[in-house]
Amino acid sequence: MSDFSLTRRSVLSGAALLLASTALPTIGRAQEPQKGGRLTVAADSEPRNLNPAIVASNGVFFISSKIVEPLAEADYEGKDGLSPRLAVSWEGSEDGKSVTFKLREGVTWHDGKPFTSADVAFSALQIWKPLQNLGRVVFKDLEAIETPDEHTAVFKFAKPTPFQLIRNALPALTSVVPKHVYENGKIEENPANTAPIGTGPFKFAEHKAGQYYRLEKNAAYWGKSEPNLDEIVYQVLPDRSAAANALEAEEIQLAAFSAVPLADLDRISKVPGLKVVTKGYEGLTYQLVVEINHRRKELADVKVRQAIAHAIDRDFVVKTIFLGYAETATGPVPKNDKQFYTPDVPAYAFDVAKANALLDEAGYKPGADGKRFKLKLLPAPYFNETKQFGDYLRQALAAIGIDAELVNNDSAAHMKAVYTDHAFDLAVGPPVFRGDPAISTTILAQSGIPDGVPFSNQGGYKNADIDAIIAKAAETLDAKARTDLYKEFQKKVVEDLPFINVADWTFISVASDKVGNIADNPRWAVSNWSDTWLAQ
Amino acid sequence: MRRLASAPEALVGLGILAALTVMALAASMLFPGDPLAIKGAPLLPPFQDWSLPLGTDRLGRDVLAELFHGARASLAVGLAAAAAAIAVGAVVGTLAGFAGGIVDEALMRITDAFQTVPSFLLALAFVSVVGPSLTVVVIAIALSAWTGPARVARAEVLSIRERDFVAGARVIGMHPLEIALREVLPNALPPVLALSSVIVASAILIEAALSFLGLGDPNRVTWGGMIAEGRTVLRSAPFLSIVPGIALVLTVLGVYLAGEGVVEGTAVRKGLS
Repeated sequence: MSDFSLTRRSVLSGAALLLASTALPTIGRAQEPQKGGRLTVAADSEPRNLNPAIVASNGVFFISSKIVEPLAEADYEGKDGLSPRLAVSWEGSEDGKSVTFKLREGVTWHDGKPFTSADVAFSALQIWKPLQNLGRVVFKDLEAIETPDEHTAVFKFAKPTPFQLIRNALPALTSVVPKHVYENGKIEENPANTAPIGTGPFKFAEHKAGQYYRLEKNAAYWGKSEPNLDEIVYQVLPDRSAAANALEAEEIQLAAFSAVPLADLDRISKVPGLKVVTKGYEGLTYQLVVEINHRRKELADVKVRQAIAHAIDRDFVVKTIFLGYAETATGPVPKNDKQFYTPDVPAYAFDVAKANALLDEAGYKPGADGKRFKLKLLPAPYFNETKQFGDYLRQALAAIGIDAELVNNDSAAHMKAVYTDHAFDLAVGPPVFRGDPAISTTILAQSGIPDGVPFSNQGGYKNADIDAIIAKAAETLDAKARTDLYKEFQKKVVEDLPFINVADWTFISVASDKVGNIADNPRWAVSNWSDTWLAQ
Repeated sequence: MRRLASAPEALVGLGILAALTVMALAASMLFPGDPLAIKGAPLLPPFQDWSLPLGTDRLGRDVLAELFHGARASLAVGLAAAAAAIAVGAVVGTLAGFAGGIVDEALMRITDAFQTVPSFLLALAFVSVVGPSLTVVVIAIALSAWTGPARVARAEVLSIRERDFVAGARVIGMHPLEIALREVLPNALPPVLALSSVIVASAILIEAALSFLGLGDPNRVTWGGMIAEGRTVLRSAPFLSIVPGIALVLTVLGVYLAGEGVVEGTAVRKGLS
């Protein structure tokens, strides 16, 4: 009998443990990462060129950031929001004309050759500065790189360049590629662009066009322990509804970059075994912006622009179009930016009466049909949300007597119409905030930008004050003073509205409960995933 | 009418078409203003709020109002495209058949060329080059639909041009073009018109498919556009795709049935006479 009661007790305690383990599955697992396994991920685009040193874009990083590493990665806790990767420390000089990087020792390329300062110097001078989409701006004054020893690289700038800007550019702009692979022949045509060689925790294995990319574990990785996963497979699933189905069928374990449509998230969050993760994209904030063509005489009047700002119900946009997965915007810097954001800007509350009054004041009285004037509105076709916001904006403008005609184009035609031909009155664009206004935000307001530069001021806007602030900030070395200048910039932009910020959004991941250590840095989806693991 | 009554499916078809016409005509009376205006909370399911009987879409627009205004776009595109296709096709076919020789060869080879390109692909290419608007969509559909009427008209004209009244017209000195268009064409028309129901139905479907692919006029409601909008929320709000889908099916069915009935009716009359 006593045996029986013992058995019963052990059964009960066993059952209790089992219950506890189902109640707290993630906590139980998070403590002990497991080794091995293949993580299958949905990929909605299939970039040909996988060299992140040339094409600094999220579509390329998503795959290549596991193979090719930057000097530093974004971090939630680290100093200045960074954690070291190929560089272990960085220091700017007083005069702003040099930055010294101490590089990591004992790192080898996937082909076995050692990683040295020569690779950094080559990448910076031959690729980042002349070829990279973003590097052309940030490294434009980079003159030379001194390499006193194998693990020190000193960047020399012709003009003082703010160290804060260089720091903020490290995660996205400084992917280092091997000199010995790239030094011969044309860099753009190097075969390593499609089969990259790097220092990262995973090695490129194969790419089957239209099907998948496969990466393998790099057993010789420099990190404290080798990467947890054996393999990462990117399954090409261009249709967005396919990603949700594949997750439910357990064919894939992760769909990043909002591959699952927002409207499906509520349903899919209730599917057992799947989790919706909204963290891990803070460093990749997209901005919903109304771009304005200031060549139209009505739109050149600041009162008309303010009226449009008052006509937009930002809460409605966030609640209905983004289903709550966004933040209302107050200005050109998103609220989630810790360095530069300031709430101290004029506010444009949703107020149709005020908008109408402003338009009356500006002299655009409604005609017999209640309409004041007609506009052409071009929503960018890249996201469902930008298209839907176009539909909404047309209605919001109708409420204040502006008759907006929607013009839908495909991606290429939209780019040409807005950024080259300027054949628009209003456009809806999704520029990206990249952690520093100088990287990609100030060009939305700056004058004198050549035709054809995407997501820049192509509306013919010119404001001497704003141009002066941008120019001054570009040569201000003191981080505090520079930040204050950008706060001033935000205030001026919101006052004069060269463009109207409506909302800021980032992406959502949907993952299987089996995937551990996801979203542990602000650029997680485009970071190296060396600590990500899969429960077997 | 009595003959039509003998074919009940024709009556059903005509009934559907009549209802559709009423919907299209009454749209702006029953739902004045822009049907794309935001009327209520987004994604309201049907039969919950009787001021919005069929619910609302992703942005809170009235689905019933969109359905009524969409009927207008569908009918307008269907009828206009069919009229244009038949007009062009009949004239080309008559000229080819009546003139014969090199003119016939040239016109028929052009017809062949158009027929070898899949009609939807042609419409798709045309709209994506010229840019989406209702007129462009109509032209695009007519561009691929005129070949059928042209072939039927030519075949009909080949038999008519040998008849006595044509020879008579020649004898009294009528200009050949005048004979072709005033004497031959009207007589060749009935079998060509019988094609119209097929063309209207396919035009409505092509328009819906173009809108579904985002190549419709974004400033107008169309059923294809509504289905495309609903597709993103198919799993959570399937009614947004189902409601316009049913409307589309019923319309095409109605056009086919009515067309069938008319063809059969005229066949019976011919048999009697």
